[in-house]
Amino acid sequence: MVQFNLPKNSKILKGQYFKDKTGSSNLKIVHIYRWDPDKNENPREDTFEIDLNSCGNKVLDILNKIKNEIDSSLTFRRSCAHGVCGSCAMNVDGVNTLSCMKSHKEIKGDLRIFPLPHLKVVKDLVADLSKLYRQYESIEPWLKTKNSKSKKNEINQSKKSREKLDGLYECIMCACCSTSCPSYWWNSEKYLGPAVLLQAYRWISDSRDDEKKERLKKVADKLKLYGCHTIMNCASSCPKGLNPAKAIGSIKKMLATS
Amino acid sequence: MNDSKNPLSPHIQIYRWHISSLLSITHRISGVINLIALISIFFWLTVLSLGENNYETFLFIVNSFFGKFILIGFTWSMSFHVLSGIRHLVWDMGYGFEIKTANFSGIVVIISSLLLTIIFWLFARGFI
Repeated sequence: MVQFNLPKNSKILKGQYFKDKTGSSNLKIVHIYRWDPDKNENPREDTFEIDLNSCGNKVLDILNKIKNEIDSSLTFRRSCAHGVCGSCAMNVDGVNTLSCMKSHKEIKGDLRIFPLPHLKVVKDLVADLSKLYRQYESIEPWLKTKNSKSKKNEINQSKKSREKLDGLYECIMCACCSTSCPSYWWNSEKYLGPAVLLQAYRWISDSRDDEKKERLKKVADKLKLYGCHTIMNCASSCPKGLNPAKAIGSIKKMLATS
Repeated sequence: MNDSKNPLSPHIQIYRWHISSLLSITHRISGVINLIALISIFFWLTVLSLGENNYETFLFIVNSFFGKFILIGFTWSMSFHVLSGIRHLVWDMGYGFEIKTANFSGIVVIISSLLLTIIFWLFARGFI
């Protein structure tokens, strides 16, 4: 059964207020989701006043500033800061995105930051993605060849075949799309979700792969694939501008016409 | 991680609505309303078989403001569901997945469903 409300232990309480100490007039109010596994308390929403005169343009700059200057216990994942690694995926201003790519200047009014939606929270903005990684593993995201010769030699690919992977190979598995999908929120036990299905399509489309049919058969499941109802939240949230909804549509079409 | 002490991060409470997600949920809701509408049509036939007095009462309800609101609601719901269904069929054929196209087709569905409802009632009332 679909549960719209948050469980009792997940209700968000009002948190601390960190007032600006620099006396700056260029302030941004930032609300951030906090949860500490060491305390037996509900999650809370802390509010920070951030001096924008001494802060970079991106949301990640704000988070780093808070961690360095205001509250060192703030926990979030980040690594490359250039939209390549996918670590800093979170919900910023109501939409999932990479905080290193998202400029806070585009956001009017208060800035709200939450972890990726409908996941178990590990700490603060870090959520548990292990289920998604298990699902990724289940589609066997590696090249499979039947011909023993091709295991020794390089497999050539025409320019045209290579082009079929454009819009697919760029995915960095940041999970913004999957955790933006209402279908995935409520069916993640069975539905694979946009990120994993885009990857499934990436291997189905690879001209070098010999198991296209098996891959299609494996994914052709009432819930694994058809859990997608073209809500399109995935495509609107992808920070790399990819379109998982289109990839899923292509798999459905392949199955319908094969 | 199955540790039940870990909270669930907020989802529908905080996620921003887009045209696409709003239309998706409206498609579902209008589907349910259509089912109720169909049941109401059978109810109408049942009342018809119960004789004149009962039918008079039924007509009184239908002709009231509330009754008209419900009937117009039913025609809108049916129009919306059919048009939105066509949009889904076009997706199934592999077209219209770009965000701009999907937003545009969504707005077209909303406006045409309203137009279709107006045309239906103008026609029903003999204005056309």
